[in-house]
Amino acid sequence: MATASQAAPAPRASMLGARLREAGWGYAFVAVPIVVFGLFFVYPFGYAIYISFLHWGILGKQPGSAGTFNYHAVLNDPIFHIALKNIAEYTIGVVPLEMALGLSLALVINQKIRGRNLFRSAFYFPSIASSVAITTIMLYIFNSDGLFNHIIGSRTPWFQSAGTAIWSIVGLNAWTTSGTVMIYYLAGLQAISTDVYEAAALDNTGAWRTFWKITFPLLRPAHFFVLVVFGIGALKLFDQAFIVGGGGGGPNNATQTPVLYIYRDAFTGADFGKAAAAGVILFVIIFVLTFVQRLTVGRQEAA
Amino acid sequence: MLPEPGDLPVTSPSPEADENTAAAQPSVPAPEREPFWGYLDLALVLGLLIAVVLLAATAQAGTRGSKVTTITLSGWSSGPDEDALLQQVVNNFNKSHPSIHVDYAVINGDYGTSMTARFAAHNPPDVFYVDSSVAGLWAQQGVLEPLNSYIKSSKYDTSKFFPSLLGAFTVGKTIYGFPKDWSPLAMEINKGMLGQAGGKTPTNWASLLKVAQTMASKDVTHGGKPICLSPDWARMLAFVYQAGGSLSNITSPAAAAAVNFYVGLMNKGLATTPDKLGSGWCGEALGKGKAAIIFEGNWVLPYMKSTYPNVQYGVFPMVKDKTGGNLAFTVSYSLAKDSNNKQAAWTLLSWLTGKQGMTQWVSKGLALPSRSDVKAIGGRQAFLSAAPYAHGWGFGNPHFSAAYTVMNNDLTAVIAGSKSVAAMLADVASALKG
Repeated sequence: MATASQAAPAPRASMLGARLREAGWGYAFVAVPIVVFGLFFVYPFGYAIYISFLHWGILGKQPGSAGTFNYHAVLNDPIFHIALKNIAEYTIGVVPLEMALGLSLALVINQKIRGRNLFRSAFYFPSIASSVAITTIMLYIFNSDGLFNHIIGSRTPWFQSAGTAIWSIVGLNAWTTSGTVMIYYLAGLQAISTDVYEAAALDNTGAWRTFWKITFPLLRPAHFFVLVVFGIGALKLFDQAFIVGGGGGGPNNATQTPVLYIYRDAFTGADFGKAAAAGVILFVIIFVLTFVQRLTVGRQEAA
Repeated sequence: MLPEPGDLPVTSPSPEADENTAAAQPSVPAPEREPFWGYLDLALVLGLLIAVVLLAATAQAGTRGSKVTTITLSGWSSGPDEDALLQQVVNNFNKSHPSIHVDYAVINGDYGTSMTARFAAHNPPDVFYVDSSVAGLWAQQGVLEPLNSYIKSSKYDTSKFFPSLLGAFTVGKTIYGFPKDWSPLAMEINKGMLGQAGGKTPTNWASLLKVAQTMASKDVTHGGKPICLSPDWARMLAFVYQAGGSLSNITSPAAAAAVNFYVGLMNKGLATTPDKLGSGWCGEALGKGKAAIIFEGNWVLPYMKSTYPNVQYGVFPMVKDKTGGNLAFTVSYSLAKDSNNKQAAWTLLSWLTGKQGMTQWVSKGLALPSRSDVKAIGGRQAFLSAAPYAHGWGFGNPHFSAAYTVMNNDLTAVIAGSKSVAAMLADVASALKG
C-alpha cells in the first residue's frame, strides 16, 4: 500500500500502526463472507449434527433420549444402500462424459473458426436454461411414443424404465453441464503458453500427438478442478431425479439418490433427525472422496 | 447439480442505485458538489422510505380498526375452475359474516413441503386443506388442532358426514378435520369399444377378464390395450379390498390374490401402465383411445370434458370380487394449532363443511359431497354408490405417506418382474409400521 511505503523512513511504531490498519481493513472485508458463511453454513451444519442424534419432528424436538439411532436407521436402510449404488453409478458415468464433452467443445471453440462466438453461446445455452424445464421437455421427447423413439423406432419409456432411468439422467446432465465444463477448459487452454505449440510445430509434431503429449497433460489443473467440482455436483444429484421419479425415487428406486432420500425423510416422513443423519453421512462420503482426489490427482498438480 | 451462472438470482437495480448513478453524473464536471448531491440523495431516499412505511402502517391500522378478524384459508390449486369456485364460496362467507374476513391464498408448488415449512416456522394458515394420506402424520406431529371441544361447545352435528370419510381424519376419538369433499374410484369404459366387445358391462373380476380378452382378440384399441392400470397402490388397493383383504392385514392371501390379479392382467397382455401407452395417466389413455377400460375417480369427468369432449364413455361402479371394495380419496379442512384466531377459524371451517357451504362447493360437479344431506349433481351415481365400500385413503396411519413411496416403488418392481409379490407385501407391512 502506498501509505506503508511512504512511512518506511518514519519510526517503527507508525509502520506497525499502518500495518495494523491494513490488516484491520483486510479483516473487515473478510468479515462479511465469514459472517455469511457462519450464518448459512456453519450454524445450520452444526445444528444438523445436533438434531441427527435426536427424535426431531416438524415442530422440533420430540420426546425420547438422544443416541445414534438415526444413523443406525439410515445405514441399515436398504433404500439408502440403493441410493448410494445409484449415485456411484451416476457419478462414474456422468463425470468422464462431462469432461470429454466439455473438452471437445472447448477445443473446437478455441480454434480460429468462423462464427465461433455463435458456437460458444450455443454450447453454453443448456447450462443457462432451467434444469427443471429441460428435464420436463426431455421427459416428453424420451417418452414411449416421444420424438426420440419415433426416430430410432423403439417403444422404450427411457426415463420410466428402471433399467434406463439413471443412464438417461446421465446423458441429460452430461449434455446440459458440458457448456460449463467447456468454459473451464477454455480458460485452461488459453493459459497454455503458445511457445510449447511453436516448439511442437518446429518439430513437425502431428495434431493428435500434440494434443496427447502437450495439451492434455498441461490441462491438469483444469482436469483436477472439473473432477472435484463436478464430482461433488454429481454426488448431490437431486432436481432431475426428483422430476423423473415424481419425487419418490421410482421406478423401482432406480432414481433414488442420497439427497432425494434426505428430502423424502424430512418432508414426506417428517423425520428430520433421520434426514439430518443421512445428510451428515453424505457429507462424510463427499469429504473423504474429495480428500482422496486431492491426495492423488491434486498432488501431481502441485508438483 | 451445480449452481450455474444462469441459476443465480438476477439482482435488479434498486431505485436507490439508480438515483445514485443519476446524481453522480453532474458531479463529473464539478467534483466539489458531489457531497452536497450525495446527502440530498440520501435524504430523499430515506424520506421516501419513511413515507412508504407510514403509509403501509396506516393502511394496516385501517383494516384492523374496524374489529374485523382476518384469517387465512389455504389449499393447493386444483385448476382455475376450482380456484374460482372456492373464491366465490369464500366471498359468500365474507358477505354473511361481517366480523370475519377470509383471505384465500393458494399455495403453489409442493403443498406438503410448503406446509411443513410453515408449521415449523409457527406461521401456518388458520384453515387449510389436509389430504387424508398425511392426516395421520400431521396429527401425530401436533400441528393440527383437535376439533372435539369446538364440536361440543357449538353442538355441531357430525353424524351427517359419511363415517369412512370422517374416519380418515380421526385418530382414536380425536377429530382433526372435516372432509370437504371426496372421490372414490369408478370404472370408466369407452362405449364404442365396449360395443365391439359385446356391450356387456363387467361387474366382477371374471367378467372383466372376459371382456378384456374379447377386446384384445378384436384389437378394439388399435395397438393399445383393453385396460389401463396405474402402477399405483392408490388404485390396486381397491382390488385388495374387493378380494376381502385389507391394508391392516396386507400379508394375507386375499391381498396376494388381488395383486396377482392386478399384475396378472398386465402379464396376460390385457392391460398395461399409462407410460407404455404414451400417456401421463390412464385418463389420457382413455381419451386417446389407447385403452378401453380405466379405473379413476371423479376427477376424470372435468378432464374428459375439457380435453377429450368427443370421446363417448360411460361411468360404472367398480368391479367386485368376494365383496365390493373401493378407496375414498378425501381432503379435509383443518385448523392450525398455531392459529391466533381459532374461534373465527372454526366458524369458517364449520360453515364450509356445513350444509350451506358444501352445497355451494359441490354445485358445479367438480367435487362430490362428503355429507349425506347434500345432494351431488347428476351423473355421479356410479361414484356415490361406492360410499358403503370406500376406505379412507391414509387410514390415520402416521407412517402412511412415507410408506406410500415404498409401496409404489415396490409395485413397479413387481410389474417389471424383479420382485416377488410376497416380498413386496412384507415390505409394505414393515413400512406401515414405520
